[in-house]
Amino acid sequence: MTYDVVEPIFFALLTIGIVSAGAGVVLANRITTSALLMAFSFLNVAGMFVLLGAETVAAFQVLIYVGAITVLILYGVMFTPQQPRAYGLFFQKQTPLAAIVVVPIAIFVALFAFSFRDAPEAGAKGHDLEPLATSVFRDFGFPFEVASVLLLAAMIGAIVLVKRDEE
Amino acid sequence: MSVSLGAFVAVSAVLFFIGTAGVLVRRNAIVILMCVELMLNAANLALVAFSRRSASVDERGSVFVVFIFVIAAAEVAVGLAIVLAAYRNRPTVDVDEIQRMKG
Repeated sequence: MTYDVVEPIFFALLTIGIVSAGAGVVLANRITTSALLMAFSFLNVAGMFVLLGAETVAAFQVLIYVGAITVLILYGVMFTPQQPRAYGLFFQKQTPLAAIVVVPIAIFVALFAFSFRDAPEAGAKGHDLEPLATSVFRDFGFPFEVASVLLLAAMIGAIVLVKRDEE
Repeated sequence: MSVSLGAFVAVSAVLFFIGTAGVLVRRNAIVILMCVELMLNAANLALVAFSRRSASVDERGSVFVVFIFVIAAAEVAVGLAIVLAAYRNRPTVDVDEIQRMKG
């Protein structure tokens, strides 16, 4: 069995995982379930990255999204009270108006995705670490430093926001 | 046969729509943050797909994804801090009831 036969099967499985877990995040009544389904959806997106041959990005996805961001959100869930209130918000009187706005956008997006059906494909597989590192540290060196300052500012801001007043 | 670029773009669009629906429908501030993360992930998927499957492979799409990782981490930290600060003032995380930040 060659790689070309396995690829569509894995793509279908990952698509089912992403879409069902994403819908579960929106629909689940318990917020902990939402958080864990979100982690599962991120894991499936990482699988998509591997399928595209971007293993380094997939590793970052697992480390940052599945690891750090999910834990951070679970801490937020832990510190706040949860009252289940999810349903009944779907069927309101704006539904026809929303359908009028959304359906043309959905048709446009579907046509846009369909237009890449016959696109020429280079199909590079793997070995993305070296060009990625070269691009980040040579072409995007200054934005890289700005990103580090942004992270420092976000860290200080988060500490200041949640700090209790001493007096 | 390998999977075409359009299929990845379609999955990305569906995930983005799901995230948008969650932001609009749910009223819990933490669930809204999760749905924003889903939308960012959809954008990441489209960027990587275009970067890896274009006629000449260009790593700049993956570089943007790395920067989006950084910004998403900062966004979640600050967003959760705002939610916790608002919760300390008024014991709720329901965005319908947190109206003090309205301009």
